[in-house]
Amino acid sequence: MSDDEKLVPFDRGKREPDPARVAEFTATARKLQQEREGAAGVAARLLGATPYAEWPRLAEREELRNSGALDELSREVASRVDRVPLESLAIAELATKIADSLAADAYPVVVLAQIRAQAWKDRGLAFCYLARHSDALAAFDRAEQFLQPFGTLAHDRAIVRLARATTLQEANRYDESIALLAECKEIFEDHGDTRRQILCGIAEGTLLHRMSRFGEAREAYKAQLPTAEKVNDLIALASIHNNIGHSSTELGDWQTAEAHLNKAIAILTELGQPLRVAGSELARGRMFVRKGDIERGIEHLHSVREQYLTHNLVEEAGLCGLDIVEAHLARGASIEAEAFAWQIVREFTAARLNARAITALGYLSEAIGARKASAETVQNVRHFIRSLRKKPDAEFVATA
Amino acid sequence: MNTYLRIVVLWPQIQFGPMTFVTTQLHDDQQFEVVYTGYFDLLVQIAVHKFRVPDSEAETLAHDVLISYLRKGNDVISLRSWLIGAICHASRHYWRLNGRTIGAEPDMALDRADPASMRILDSLPDQLAAREAMDCLNPRCREILHMRYFEGCTVIEIAERLGVKPKYAQKLISRCLRRAETLYGEKGKSQ
Repeated sequence: MSDDEKLVPFDRGKREPDPARVAEFTATARKLQQEREGAAGVAARLLGATPYAEWPRLAEREELRNSGALDELSREVASRVDRVPLESLAIAELATKIADSLAADAYPVVVLAQIRAQAWKDRGLAFCYLARHSDALAAFDRAEQFLQPFGTLAHDRAIVRLARATTLQEANRYDESIALLAECKEIFEDHGDTRRQILCGIAEGTLLHRMSRFGEAREAYKAQLPTAEKVNDLIALASIHNNIGHSSTELGDWQTAEAHLNKAIAILTELGQPLRVAGSELARGRMFVRKGDIERGIEHLHSVREQYLTHNLVEEAGLCGLDIVEAHLARGASIEAEAFAWQIVREFTAARLNARAITALGYLSEAIGARKASAETVQNVRHFIRSLRKKPDAEFVATA
Repeated sequence: MNTYLRIVVLWPQIQFGPMTFVTTQLHDDQQFEVVYTGYFDLLVQIAVHKFRVPDSEAETLAHDVLISYLRKGNDVISLRSWLIGAICHASRHYWRLNGRTIGAEPDMALDRADPASMRILDSLPDQLAAREAMDCLNPRCREILHMRYFEGCTVIEIAERLGVKPKYAQKLISRCLRRAETLYGEKGKSQ
């Protein structure tokens, strides 16, 4: 016996994995990787080449019936959910149809549960953006049902619950939302998922903001800054600075608001995200108006409006224009306000936007002409136009 | 909803993105195997020693954790943290399903999550090897490990006897175990 063999190694208690399990892991890894590579661009191409009404039939296409393609569909859902939530929902419905019909032995059961839960989570998110809150919550329930048997999927479950917490906020169920966010934050922390941990913090701040607890909201956002800086998550940093700017504006702390909005703008500019830059610039313009620096605010809002028009975002430009109308009314310049309101009507008409939005804008223009409009009237019209994204058939109710 | 609020509310939502992605860090079967074999033991040790999950169940949980990681590649900043978080949650879930409360022993928390030490601990019952290892140590470490593994003292009892805080006592134990492993290994090679 050699000397080496006499030694009792300290790691002799080390467990060797079952070769069959290693083989299953390797085969699954290989399969998922191949599907991901094979699915690159497939979903976008098929969706682009197929009329919207025929999207459900894409569920039969073999090239979409795998994990990689479903991930692609998930990205399509996320990228459209804010701009065109109806399309987003249609894609999410397609994804759930495919995921639910995958063969039971197509993947290990854990992976299959993850795939199906992801599809249902996306569907819930799309419903949420369409203000169909009970449908969204039902979709999240379904997603959690898939994950429920697997203790190893706590992270996936937390992702679904984060989406649920957001929906609960939208449905004004704040207490339930805040409890869920706290739970999710802990799970993300346990898994070292700093990015989502920050998202939970931002969502908590948003919740407090919605409850008009602006000081606490600002503190919640500020608490996320060191972590976001540490992991150099620039998108999160920009988001946090932007939101601190909003809360500070509500608190009348103009200096802080401007400083943080400037930081958000600088980061987003560096990241090359012009539309988000415009969003923060819009907030800065409004801040100037609220501060009483109306001329500067109007000038600023005009430049933001130009940005939106450059990108052919007529609706966003129109909504920004309503801020200008409101600012004109605030300084008693009704003639300018009326002229500008009619200009927005013409732009909406030319762009063939929702006729109900045009009706609301026409009402506003006439009310200004009749010297019956106030800041509240403008806000009411703005709120209505925004609500049309979720409920395109909503009827405009005129208020003073 | 007013426009300020709308923007504030939408920001976090926009960033949800797809829930999971297939791993991009791994490229071939050999690498897949390296990840599996590299972490399997660690995960099983945590489930068994920290949560007292039965061996065969612990191995199943570790396997499921590793498989579920495959759809998390781009999501995971630190693979090790993610895997440890997942096995801890999986173990708690296991006991929730099997109706046992965890954490009844007061000093369990102090013994937790030092898988490297756990592995050493596994081999220490071999008294001969352990005593040989002890001989390589300085008197203080010898005393500490003697109390822990030959007298069977808890971390809290050791802390009291040394006049230090339990957390520090745990640190000393871990440090001495690693020292024993290193010195014993060196001794073996030189013989």
